[in-house]
Amino acid sequence: MPLKHLKYKAVAFLTLAFLLWSNLSLSQGTYVLSGKVTDNLNKPLPGATVALSPGKKSTVTDNDGNFSFINLPAGRFSVEVSFMGFQKFSEIVNLENSQEVDIRLTERMQNLQEIIVADNYPLHRNSEETLNVEVVNDDFLKQFLGGSLMQSLERLPGISSMDIGAGQSKPVIRGLGFNRVVVVENGIKHEAQQWGADHGLEVDQFAFDRIEIIKGPSSLTYGSDAIGGVIDLKQVQIPQVKSFGGNIDLIGKSNNNLAGTSALVFGRREKLFYTFRGTLLDYADYRVPVDVIDIYSYRATLYKNRLRNTAGQEKNIHFSLGFQNNGTIHRIFVSNVSTRQGFFANTHGLEPRRVDTALHDKSDRDIHLPYQDVNHFKIISRSVVQKQKFSARAELGYQHNNRQEWSPYTRHGFMPPSIPAELNIPAELERQFIKLVYSANLQAEFPMNDATEITSGLSLEYQDNDIHGRSFIIPAFEQLNAGGFMLMKHRPSEQVLLQAGIRYDHGKLHTASYSDWYTTPVETNGSITDSMLQRAPELTRSFSSLTWSAGLNYHADHLSLKLNAGKSFRMPAPQELAANGVNYHRFSYEKGNPDILPETSYQLDASLEYHTRRFAIGITPFSNYFPNYIYLNPGFEHDRLYGNGNQVFTYTQSRVLRLGGELHSHYNIIPQLKAGLILNYIWSEQLSGSKKGFTLPFSPPASALFHLKFAPGEMQLKQFPYLAADVKMVAPQNRIVPPEEKTPGFAVVNLSAGTEINIRRQAVNLTFQVQNLFNKTYFNHTSYYRLIHVPEPGRNVILGINIPF
Amino acid sequence: MKQKLFMVALAVSLLSACNKDDTDLEKPVIDFSAEDSFPNNCDTLWLGETFNFRSAFTDNSELGSYSIEIHENFDHHSHSTEETPCELMPEKEPVNPFEFLKDYVIPAKRSSYEANVDIEIPEGNNEGHFDEGDYDVSISLTDREGWSTQKIISVKLLKR
Repeated sequence: MPLKHLKYKAVAFLTLAFLLWSNLSLSQGTYVLSGKVTDNLNKPLPGATVALSPGKKSTVTDNDGNFSFINLPAGRFSVEVSFMGFQKFSEIVNLENSQEVDIRLTERMQNLQEIIVADNYPLHRNSEETLNVEVVNDDFLKQFLGGSLMQSLERLPGISSMDIGAGQSKPVIRGLGFNRVVVVENGIKHEAQQWGADHGLEVDQFAFDRIEIIKGPSSLTYGSDAIGGVIDLKQVQIPQVKSFGGNIDLIGKSNNNLAGTSALVFGRREKLFYTFRGTLLDYADYRVPVDVIDIYSYRATLYKNRLRNTAGQEKNIHFSLGFQNNGTIHRIFVSNVSTRQGFFANTHGLEPRRVDTALHDKSDRDIHLPYQDVNHFKIISRSVVQKQKFSARAELGYQHNNRQEWSPYTRHGFMPPSIPAELNIPAELERQFIKLVYSANLQAEFPMNDATEITSGLSLEYQDNDIHGRSFIIPAFEQLNAGGFMLMKHRPSEQVLLQAGIRYDHGKLHTASYSDWYTTPVETNGSITDSMLQRAPELTRSFSSLTWSAGLNYHADHLSLKLNAGKSFRMPAPQELAANGVNYHRFSYEKGNPDILPETSYQLDASLEYHTRRFAIGITPFSNYFPNYIYLNPGFEHDRLYGNGNQVFTYTQSRVLRLGGELHSHYNIIPQLKAGLILNYIWSEQLSGSKKGFTLPFSPPASALFHLKFAPGEMQLKQFPYLAADVKMVAPQNRIVPPEEKTPGFAVVNLSAGTEINIRRQAVNLTFQVQNLFNKTYFNHTSYYRLIHVPEPGRNVILGINIPF
Repeated sequence: MKQKLFMVALAVSLLSACNKDDTDLEKPVIDFSAEDSFPNNCDTLWLGETFNFRSAFTDNSELGSYSIEIHENFDHHSHSTEETPCELMPEKEPVNPFEFLKDYVIPAKRSSYEANVDIEIPEGNNEGHFDEGDYDVSISLTDREGWSTQKIISVKLLKR
């Protein structure tokens, strides 16, 4: 080959090689993305994970917090930085040249949430409120699933419940319950027979995705009865556009052979959405760790440890239809909660009953007399409008509560052997209460300037109550309540919130007169006349109340402080004014007092919380003074005429002082292991009246909950899997009022675990609990059956299966 | 410093106030084990006769009042509060049952009291003879503070 050709070939080859080489370099990229990761105090963070996509590259920062990605092409990249104890950082970088980025991570603090909550709502809610608020979601309820909503919430500091058997409970906030706690569902106050000791809250614990519990005087925004606090039940989750899905929950419990299911279906096109839920629960008589119950000196033997006739059923249906357009949401909720629960057959209230044990013990699922039937129907319309400068909401509600107590016809006092047929009172219908409620609320929020916001609201409620049945306890009545409030929130700086508000309420109560349907021999001037005694006069009363609240909320990096002073009130209940009958559930003749004033309460609340990455502690003390607490006072007299020989109890008012508080703390021993502690303490004393020096009825004793939770997944970011143990220790309650008994202290152990499994690509969440692990015999001072010496349920193994679709 | 001392003193006084034990926390006692108490569980009372009700009451502080009620238990709905069940007569419907209800005040400042009252059981009223059968005698006792105790005794009412 001539040399000339070889030269050309070599040049061509080299040129080609050079071109090829430069092409390759170009497609690999020549840019470098580097940077430094620091914490919120600007100190370098070694070992932080930096991930880059697209390309799925990842690296780890060095000792100086530096990282770099080389050979990157130009383009758009997403940089994600994560490090335990810090919030995940994410940023878009447009790479046109080599670039350096400075990334500063913000601390993720240990908080006092019991369950990992996906969003920041609980923190946000607490920073907007000067009162203490607990926020839980449905995951919390599933992890601690109890027989009823309040039993599931009992674990929270300051919250307890009064239980009637295994499936019904009443809310208690810091020792106050009955008419002193308000339950709100989707903005409308839940109205039922809250005054009754054997009445349970008629709500479906599967139906809510967020529950807020406000501890302290909340009359400012919720009106009458919100003295102990408010339990706010919310359905806030709205389906995504063009979605369809749902959830199925299956529950099984060993102690009372409960089998249940709750299924949710939701869907949405563009702006219209719907949700539909049905819940079915069926349970047998519950079991206790003893085989005899000592009712006074009478010993009732139990069959297979079962408390005969405490079985029950629950059938609930919920439907909502909604419309969302940006910040405007209109939603209608229709629901029906229907329950039947038997009462322990061996007594009727406190009175021992002869029992056909063969009949009751044939089956542990059947329900014979005595039992209660409750049906609660609701229609609620809720509209929320959120604009830039203004937000408003309006709610309208209709409720129909029908409660019946059925028991065998028993002659007491001068009742005849049977009820005359023309009266149309079924012999076995002991009591019936029918309540119709119409409610309307309107609330608007608008900013006055950059730092100040004013909220004002109006609410109206009308109730029509009717009674039926052979036994009288409260009269039929109508009630109309109207209230208006104004609240101002002012932020002088980012860390400080000041809040003050005032409210005026006016209420009118009209009770119908009631006379016995049978006659009582009355002795007048030596001769005896048979007359139908009047048990309640016709009465019309009006009440007005001015309430207020003022508070401060300060939060810095590690510390938050809240202070609140408030006045709240409640209108007297009809029986407190007009009662004049025998309560055969407790051998008491109860007399109302028509001169009773609305109860007022002054409370001072504080909250101090300290957070670091591994540790959080909160202390929430309170002090509460009532100048006129309405108290049903047991006297020493018996009454023959109206009281059928029973002890006289009179509604009186006295000065009462209450003090107490909670302590709540969490500590991450290692990232996967968290220890927690909740302490509760309440002290109350009557400062005047015939029970001066005594406490109040149903005072919860001091309690401590120790908690250990192991969650091997990234603890801060995933709920499952977990394994946890609780030890609850309750002090003896030796401070009592008649007719209570001292209750010994106890300790009880509960275990819980949860995991997520995949069955053929379907995610299934499992929660598992063992309540009362050691089958301990213990008594709860505030249980309905405590006075007849029924212990709390024995060991209960609970399995929950949740299938989202 | 003075404020601190005051707060401590207030706390101490409050705590000691709740430890004060002059509140009466005990129920009164109806003592049926006493030799001459009458009637006892499963006893018989006679129509047309007067019987002498006797019972011993005690309390840790001060007694209040008591009431006695006698009513029919033909359908055996109620159960005595006493340990041993009695042999019951067959169930039946009441036609003209005897009823008795009276309350009595115990003199003040007594921590023990012997109740002793004569209770007359007529043979009948203007509707005829009273029914024979199983009856309950219900006794309710209170003390001054409002604590109460109940006892229900099964008796039979028979014609001699």
